[in-house]
Amino acid sequence: MTFFAPFTLPFIIGAAVMAAVLVAKYTLWTIHLPAEDKRLIRRNMFSAKSLAAVWEVVRESLLHVRIWRVNPMLGYMHSSLALGWFLLIAIGWIETVAYLGWGWVPLQGHVFFKYFMPVNGIAEHKAGFEFAMDLMLTVVLSGVALAWIKRMRSRLMGMRRTTRHVAFDRIALSALWFVFPLRYVAESITCAIYGGGSFLTGTTGKLLGEHLDSATLDALSEPAWWLYSIALGVFFVAMPFSRYMHIFTEIPLIFLRRYKLAPSVEEKSYDNFEVEACSRCGICIDPCQLQADLGIDDVQSVYFLRDRRYNMLKLATANNCLMCGRCQTQCPVGINLNTLRLNSRAKLRNIPNEGRYGYLAGLDRSTGEGRTGYFAGCMTTLTPRTLAAMNAIFEAAGDDVWRADSDGGVCCGRPLMLSGETAAARKMIDYNTGLFRRHGITRLVTSCPICLKVFREQYDLDGIEVLHHSEYICRMIESGRLHVDRSDELYTYHDPCELGRGCDIYDEPRRAIEAVGRLAEPEHNRRNSLCCGASLANTVIDDKQQRRIAQRMAAELEATGAGTIVTACPLCHKSIERVADCGTMDLAEVVAKNILRDKR
Amino acid sequence: MRSIRFGYGISKPRAIDIDSNDLRKSNEILREMPELQTCIGCGSCTASCTAGNLTQFNFRRVHTLVRRGEYMGAYEEMNKCMLCGKCRLVCPRGINTRGLAMLIKRKLGDF
Repeated sequence: MTFFAPFTLPFIIGAAVMAAVLVAKYTLWTIHLPAEDKRLIRRNMFSAKSLAAVWEVVRESLLHVRIWRVNPMLGYMHSSLALGWFLLIAIGWIETVAYLGWGWVPLQGHVFFKYFMPVNGIAEHKAGFEFAMDLMLTVVLSGVALAWIKRMRSRLMGMRRTTRHVAFDRIALSALWFVFPLRYVAESITCAIYGGGSFLTGTTGKLLGEHLDSATLDALSEPAWWLYSIALGVFFVAMPFSRYMHIFTEIPLIFLRRYKLAPSVEEKSYDNFEVEACSRCGICIDPCQLQADLGIDDVQSVYFLRDRRYNMLKLATANNCLMCGRCQTQCPVGINLNTLRLNSRAKLRNIPNEGRYGYLAGLDRSTGEGRTGYFAGCMTTLTPRTLAAMNAIFEAAGDDVWRADSDGGVCCGRPLMLSGETAAARKMIDYNTGLFRRHGITRLVTSCPICLKVFREQYDLDGIEVLHHSEYICRMIESGRLHVDRSDELYTYHDPCELGRGCDIYDEPRRAIEAVGRLAEPEHNRRNSLCCGASLANTVIDDKQQRRIAQRMAAELEATGAGTIVTACPLCHKSIERVADCGTMDLAEVVAKNILRDKR
Repeated sequence: MRSIRFGYGISKPRAIDIDSNDLRKSNEILREMPELQTCIGCGSCTASCTAGNLTQFNFRRVHTLVRRGEYMGAYEEMNKCMLCGKCRLVCPRGINTRGLAMLIKRKLGDF
C-alpha cells in the first residue's frame, strides 16, 4: 500500500516546512551560543542532569504540572491538548504497528490511518484501539472547547485577562481550533461508510449513516479529509512563526536550563530559547500591578517577549516595568523574565563611554575602622531614622564598623544596570569593590535591598560576607549579642521586591520582628507580595501612578489591623510612608526601639 | 547726533535669548515629559544628588539650561549622574526626574 491520496498534500507540505524551519532555527541558535555555554553543554550532557531534564519534559511539556498549580482549569486545558494530542499520535503509531508490523509506513499513513485502513484486519484489538483513540479525541476536544471559552470569557477560566495576539498567532490559533473538530467529522463520516469507531466517532457515524444515504456520504468523505489535512498543514506552516513554537522549544530549553545555562546582562543566543519558549498563555498579565492598578495592558512580560521576538520592541515598552518579579514567580515555563528585560534595555540603551565617572578615581569618603563594613546605600541617606537605628544596633551589638558611605558614597551600580547602562554600572562596581578590598572588611552589611542584589549578583566579593541588615540584626539577636525587649505591639511586614523575590530573604525580617513584637501577615506576602510602585526599574510611570500602586498595596497592609507597617527597604519605606495612614518604620528602627541596653 | 553722557552705561544683555536658541530638542523633551513644566526650581534634586555630592554636577542647572535650549555641555554633565533616583523621591512636584535624566541623555546624545 502506498498510503498516498491527494488530500494528504497540505499535511505533508506543512509538516516538511515546519521540520525544516525548526531544524534551521535550533541549529543556528546552538551554533551562536557563546563558548562558555557550549562548554557547559558538553560538560553536563552525559550526566544525571539529562535524566532529570527528561523527567521535567514529561512533567512540564506533557502534563503541565506548574500550570495546574497556578490555575487547575488552565492546567486541564493545556494538558488535555498537549498530552491528549501526544497520546493520539502515540496510540495511532502503536495501532499502525499492531496492524502492519514494523515495516515502514510514511507519516501520512499514521496520521490518516483511519482513511487508509477504515476496516482493520485484526478484529480482537480493534475495539480497544478504537476506544482509546476516541477517548483521546474527546479529551482533546474538551481542551479545545475550554480554549474557545477562554478566548471569549477569560474570567470563566480564572483569568481576568487573556493575551492579545499577532497575525501569525491568530492564523495558527484558528487552524488549531479546527484541527480536532475536523478530524472528528472526517473520522465520523468514514465510520458511517465503513463501520467501526467507538463511542464518539462510531456513534456519530451511525447517526450519519441513518440520516444520509451512501452517495451523500461518499461525496462528503473526501472534502472532510481535505479540510482536516489543510487545517493541519496551515497550523504546521504557521507554528514556527507563532506562539506555538513553544511546543517544541520548551524541550531544548528544559535541557539547557538543567545544564546551567542562563541569560545574563547582555543578550546572547541562549535567550532565543527562552523568548520562543513563551507560549503567550498570559498568566503573567494578572499578577502585574501595572495592569491591575493602572490599566496599562501592553507592557507585560508576554507582550515584551512577543515584541522582542518579532523585533518590534520599543524602549518605552521595555522600560515600563517595575521588575517586581511577580510574573516571573508564576511563569509556567520558568522564563527569566527580569533578566531578559534587563538585557533588552542594555541593548537599546547601553552607551559605552570610557570617559564617564572619571571623578571616581581616588575618591574615599568612608569613615571608621572595623571588620564589618556598612554600606547604607543612597536611599538610606534619605531615611536618616534608619541610619540612626543602625548606628544604635551596631553600638549595642558591640561591633566595630567601617562606614563606606557615611559622607555620601558612590552608588552601587544597580540603578544604572536597571536602566540598561551596563558599562557605566561596571565602573561603580569596580570602584566599590576596590574600596571594600582596600579597607579589608570581611563582612558587608547594607540597608538597601537594591544594593544587596547587585552586591550578590554582579560583584566579585570572595571572602566578604554580604548581608542585608535584616539578616545581620536577626543573627545578632539570635546569637545573643543584641538583647531586645518583646512588646505586645502588632506589626505587619511588607516584603520588598528586591529583598524577597530578588534575594530570597523572607524569614529573617520576620524573625527579627517577632523578637520584638507580634506580626500580622497581609493578604499578599512572601513570593506573592505586592510592589510599592516606586521601583527604580520603572522610568515611565509618573508620580500619580506610583502613588496609586502604593495606595492599593498600603491598604492591604493596613487591613491587617497592625499599628505600624514595617519594611526593610528605604525606597519602599518612602513610598509607603506617603500614602499610609498608620506609621511606617524600617525594620532597624523597630528593633532599635526595643534594645535592652542594661543587659549588655 | 551726539551721544549724551549720563555718567553710567547699560551693560550688554546677559539674558538667554530664547529666540536665537534652537528649542527643537527642548520642546521634544517637554513633550515627552510635560510634568517638567511644573518644576519650581527649588533645587531639592541637586541638594540630594549623590553625584552632586562628589562633583560640581548640578541637575537643576542642567535641566533648566536644557529647557532654555542651552545644550552645550549638558550631555557630558548628565553623564555624571548615577541614576540613583534620590532626586525623584525628594521632588516636591513629583517629577519623574530619573526618567528625565535618561531622556535628556537620549535626546542630546548627538550634541
